Amino acid sequence: MQLALIFLATLSVLGVSLLLPQPATAATAEEDYARQASVAPQPDDIGAGYEIPPAQRVAPRAAWWYVVDMALLAAALVVAALIAHRWRRRWMAVTLSLASLAYFGFFRGGCVCPIGATQNVAAGIADSSYAVPLAVLAFFMLPLVAALLAGRVFCGGPCPLGAIQDLVLIKPKQLPPAVDRWGGKFRYAYLGIAVVLAAAPAAAREFPICRYDPFVGFFRLTGPATMFAFGTALLAIGTVIGRPYCRFLCPYGALLGVVSRFSWKSVSITPDEELDCGLCTEACPFGAIENMRAKRATCLACARCFAHCPRQQYAWGEIELYEIEQLTQQAADKPTDKKPATRPIEEPVA
Amino acid sequence: MAHDETRRNFLHRSGQAACAAAIVGTGAVLARRACSGDAWAIAPNRCVNIRLGVTGADKVCSSCAEQCVLALSAVRAVNQHDRCGRCCICPAYFDVRSQVGPDGLPTKKLCPRDAIIRTPIGEIDPYDPLNNFYEYTIDDEKCNGCGRCVMECKDPAGLGSIRLEVRYDLCLRCNQCSIAQACPEDAYVRVGPQPAPAEALEGGHA
Repeated sequence: MQLALIFLATLSVLGVSLLLPQPATAATAEEDYARQASVAPQPDDIGAGYEIPPAQRVAPRAAWWYVVDMALLAAALVVAALIAHRWRRRWMAVTLSLASLAYFGFFRGGCVCPIGATQNVAAGIADSSYAVPLAVLAFFMLPLVAALLAGRVFCGGPCPLGAIQDLVLIKPKQLPPAVDRWGGKFRYAYLGIAVVLAAAPAAAREFPICRYDPFVGFFRLTGPATMFAFGTALLAIGTVIGRPYCRFLCPYGALLGVVSRFSWKSVSITPDEELDCGLCTEACPFGAIENMRAKRATCLACARCFAHCPRQQYAWGEIELYEIEQLTQQAADKPTDKKPATRPIEEPVA
Repeated sequence: MAHDETRRNFLHRSGQAACAAAIVGTGAVLARRACSGDAWAIAPNRCVNIRLGVTGADKVCSSCAEQCVLALSAVRAVNQHDRCGRCCICPAYFDVRSQVGPDGLPTKKLCPRDAIIRTPIGEIDPYDPLNNFYEYTIDDEKCNGCGRCVMECKDPAGLGSIRLEVRYDLCLRCNQCSIAQACPEDAYVRVGPQPAPAEALEGGHA
């Protein structure tokens, strides 16, 4: 009985002590866990004169850079048109190519280029919720407008992909015209595939032109090994066969070719009266001169032919009048004159 | 001959007009709903590393780190310092499942590239470790955006102050971004062509 009473008393004392506030232990617990677990401490909580540093962020590319890109593209197109139609100097075309390669290629990193923009435009037309950035639209449109006015001046001027190939073309050999004609058809197929894949619904959308771009890796100095292999192979072929990507692969070139077929102005090789000596046909690495006239759809406005025209050289005062006859005579004496396109190109006679 | 010439001329003119109409038409249609700029961004509520409800470094998705065409990915972890808990045992800094050392801290770090820098703020009280504050900064040159710290710094252990973000100084703005192609959750979006994603996390406390 006594034992039971003691037991109850102990229990009640314990119970009361548990119910009573426990000042000492509660205070230490609050000190230990003073920090709220769900809220970030601010400078006042932290003390020690701490200031919150800003998050390490970089702002996206400023809008004015897009304006610079567009303005430079427009300017380069105008300069390329002037070179192809008025100034006619090869060194100017080379300088423009180098400048384009530097800015549109290496500095700008290549994206989004007019070639790839074809896909964005196709996606934009097919999907009304897909907005094409204004700069990308301008990059797609400006070369087409230029092509309608002055031919494929984009290819010979601002295009960095064209420029890198043009600059490695050391020893140009001409291809049989049939290879040029039928090989060139592949561009239309590529364009068709690219448009179909880009116009697919968002989940299945694919940009094959960008995926299989051979040169963008060079511009960025980084990229997948397959891209470098493809690009290097094209550049190696390009030392002999002029601009293989432009002539046989480039889908945008196909589009520009169609438009420039109807161009307002076309490249006229001889400055005044036609000579019909065929020296220009030999000088063209791209097989773009047929019957001694530049073909609107395939002429890339590289300005190589002008330097080989005796009349042009005379107009520049580089040769005397009697030398025109000598040069044309030399050209006429060559045995395979009937088929100039199959013949390898000679060194410039001047 | 003259007849042929006029015929050719007519065809040329018609072709010219057709091309001009096509160019102007396409331009007008697309320019009406064109956007000004474009940039790649990560949608926090879709990214498996950022969104709430998924935890554990074993569930981490490292597409951003592996797929970018750059040697060091254009995606990195960013610590929003104003939301950082500055915890002593930061679950993003320490591998909390590793052996606890004599100092009471886990012995291993979570970041495989050791890209998080831990700096004590003010005086450190060794007897009150839980009330000390540490600043966690992410080394820009080491972080490749693998997302482990992002995965760990969120409910229930963390405050979700670390997020994966695009570093616009490195991003090349590829038209066909390889990260976007590989992203299993379609969380890598092209802002401009697509609307900007919401910043606030769904189901989060702030």
